[in-house]
Amino acid sequence: MTTALKTPVPTRAEKAQAPKRRRSSAGYPRITPYLFLLPMILLFVGFKLYPYISAFWLSLTKNVGGDVQFAGLANYTRLLQDPLFFTALGNTGIILLVQVPIMLVLAILLAVAFNSAILKWRAFWRTSYFVPIVMGLVAYGILFRALLNTNEGFVNYLIGFIGIGPIPWLGDPMWAKVSIVIAMTWHYTGQNAIIYLAQMQSIGGELYEAAHVDGASAFQRFWHVTLPGLRPAIVLTVILSTIGTLQLFDEPYVLTNGGPDNATLTVGMYLYQNGFKYFDFGYASAIGYALTIIIGVISLIQLRLFKEKS
Amino acid sequence: MMFSKTKPWRRVAIATVAAATVATLVGCSAQADEPQTDGEISGKITVWTWNAPGEGLRAAIPAFQELHPDVEIDVQDVGNPAIWEKITTGMAAGGSGLADVLNIGIDYMGNYAEKFPDQLVDLRDFGADELAAEFPAGAWKSGSGADGQVYGIPYEVNAAGFFFRKDLFEAAGLEYAGIETWDDLLDAGVVLKEKTGASLFSMDKAGTVGDSAGLFELLINLQGAFYFNADGEITMNGEEGVRALEIIKKANDLGLVEDVPGTWDNLLITLRGERDVATSSSGGWLSGVIESEAPDMAGKWGVSPPKAVTSGGLTGAVNGGTYLSVPSSSPNQATAWAFINFALGTLEGQQLVYDGGGMFPGFAPMLESPGFVAPNEYFGGTEVNQIFIDELNQDTPVVNYTSDYARALKAYVDAQTRVLLQGADPQTELDAAAEQVAQATGRTLAE
Repeated sequence: MTTALKTPVPTRAEKAQAPKRRRSSAGYPRITPYLFLLPMILLFVGFKLYPYISAFWLSLTKNVGGDVQFAGLANYTRLLQDPLFFTALGNTGIILLVQVPIMLVLAILLAVAFNSAILKWRAFWRTSYFVPIVMGLVAYGILFRALLNTNEGFVNYLIGFIGIGPIPWLGDPMWAKVSIVIAMTWHYTGQNAIIYLAQMQSIGGELYEAAHVDGASAFQRFWHVTLPGLRPAIVLTVILSTIGTLQLFDEPYVLTNGGPDNATLTVGMYLYQNGFKYFDFGYASAIGYALTIIIGVISLIQLRLFKEKS
Repeated sequence: MMFSKTKPWRRVAIATVAAATVATLVGCSAQADEPQTDGEISGKITVWTWNAPGEGLRAAIPAFQELHPDVEIDVQDVGNPAIWEKITTGMAAGGSGLADVLNIGIDYMGNYAEKFPDQLVDLRDFGADELAAEFPAGAWKSGSGADGQVYGIPYEVNAAGFFFRKDLFEAAGLEYAGIETWDDLLDAGVVLKEKTGASLFSMDKAGTVGDSAGLFELLINLQGAFYFNADGEITMNGEEGVRALEIIKKANDLGLVEDVPGTWDNLLITLRGERDVATSSSGGWLSGVIESEAPDMAGKWGVSPPKAVTSGGLTGAVNGGTYLSVPSSSPNQATAWAFINFALGTLEGQQLVYDGGGMFPGFAPMLESPGFVAPNEYFGGTEVNQIFIDELNQDTPVVNYTSDYARALKAYVDAQTRVLLQGADPQTELDAAAEQVAQATGRTLAE
């Protein structure tokens, strides 16, 4: 034990090896980082890479009387001729174009409010707006089904006082879409607001002070300082929300079951129906891959657009 | 050594983490249980079912354990419809994680048997074909494969029950017994609405909760047809289907259809008379539900066979059923079969199951047993079970669900929604629905 206290004098041979030893700094073997990564790599291969490849293979097959047979691109050509797939794609597109802008504008306004110095109980408000994101799917479905019930729902009860309604929220093709938009906005706005709030902390206070000195109004400060400062967060949330909406499944599943008459059928719902209702796993996989391609293309376009502007 | 630069303890720690990870991942697929083939009846089995049928099966356990004291049976309420996704997922995963006995609906049976033929045990291996003669041929056939494999033993065999509110018909001055056809019924419905304000039917018009095809299936069935014919060709847009949807459209246009979202709670609301709806058509099992869930309505509900669509037509229809099956992945198939055989293939077991859960059986000795047909006080002394036995004895068609029932059902409900909400034409919409099913499944339209 006492020998460890002595400072070892390096020999000539050890000096020559010094650069080598530095690379494996502190005496770790070179394989160490990989060993630490190994659990993650194994999990990635087992639960991500393998399913990706397996699903792609599945999308090239079909089940004939219990036998899985290679079918080439048959599922993809069928997809291109399937009116329901395009209905689903159209519905998803409409919800995307309507819901995401509403939600993000609301989220920015909320974030400004959360950030305001005059707001009391700030932590409470932030938490209560974030809570919907962690709400379980089943509770969420029960809550909104109860709220939006045509005859006994609370929403129709309320708007009844100002002489509107009753609106068939979940039973009419158009209103069902509106219901999905409302539910999604409730579910995800808080999350986006928190992202904006975080970004706002990085906008320097001196910019506001300078604007103030220059006599900018509150709105001008928001428009010329806050919004440009939020730009990276806006890019992030637009892309995340787009991807999330294209994969939309929860809301139509719990609220409208894709109906009435497929008015809220989304690509995610259609994939689920084909896989788990009709046991058409090959076709469901093809839908999944088509969706992946669509998401990839749209994300690429969005990234390009934002890049050119900057 | 402890303080040497290579620090072996770190290596050991890293290696342990890595090994544990590998072991965890590999362990997932390392279930090495061999199916028990020696036929010994012992050990533990699990059963997947839902509330009421689960009660029935539980009631048979003590008597079964007297015969086989070493057996432990765990009946699990997976819930309906959750059970279908659970079974599908298990089968798609090669049988991993499935219970030893599965309660399977007739509407799913064709799909499981056709898409996963190796996943269900051919119960002929255990001599199940000897039971065939004891069950209605149609119900037996729907649980069998193309080459006679026996994939499931009928647990419930449901005839259609047509329930009506005696008090409402009386209040409107109508004589229910005098109604012969569905046209007469709609005429009565108009009077009923006028005099009492009650609707004749309730339905989830948007079809966003339940499938809301019950009335259509009853009406097309009463005309001897279904979505598919015996050869698996699409017949939903044939003249029987169109007539069925036209009757529904007419009732809706006359304002006789109450729009009630298809949840269990809403069904109970109408059964308890909290919202007045004059009739409810369903499987015969609904009689037990009404009796237990709406005790205050005793004497107000009546039950009858469904009315004929055309004068002199069928007044009986099959309304679904369920089976008990054994998945090939079960390590204890012999015990699973022994339990099914006791519960469904013996009079003692059937009696216990029926008393416990009230599911309508298909087992002939049970139907013929003394006391099975008895006047029911709740329904004003009607011999309820006799109605269902008579229906099953009529020359009802074999209902061919096929592996594409779910797709046909969905296409139909969408068509019905367009007819009810937008006033679309039944023939046009059913043609479109049939075309859609044909395109998706490769089935042909019947001529």
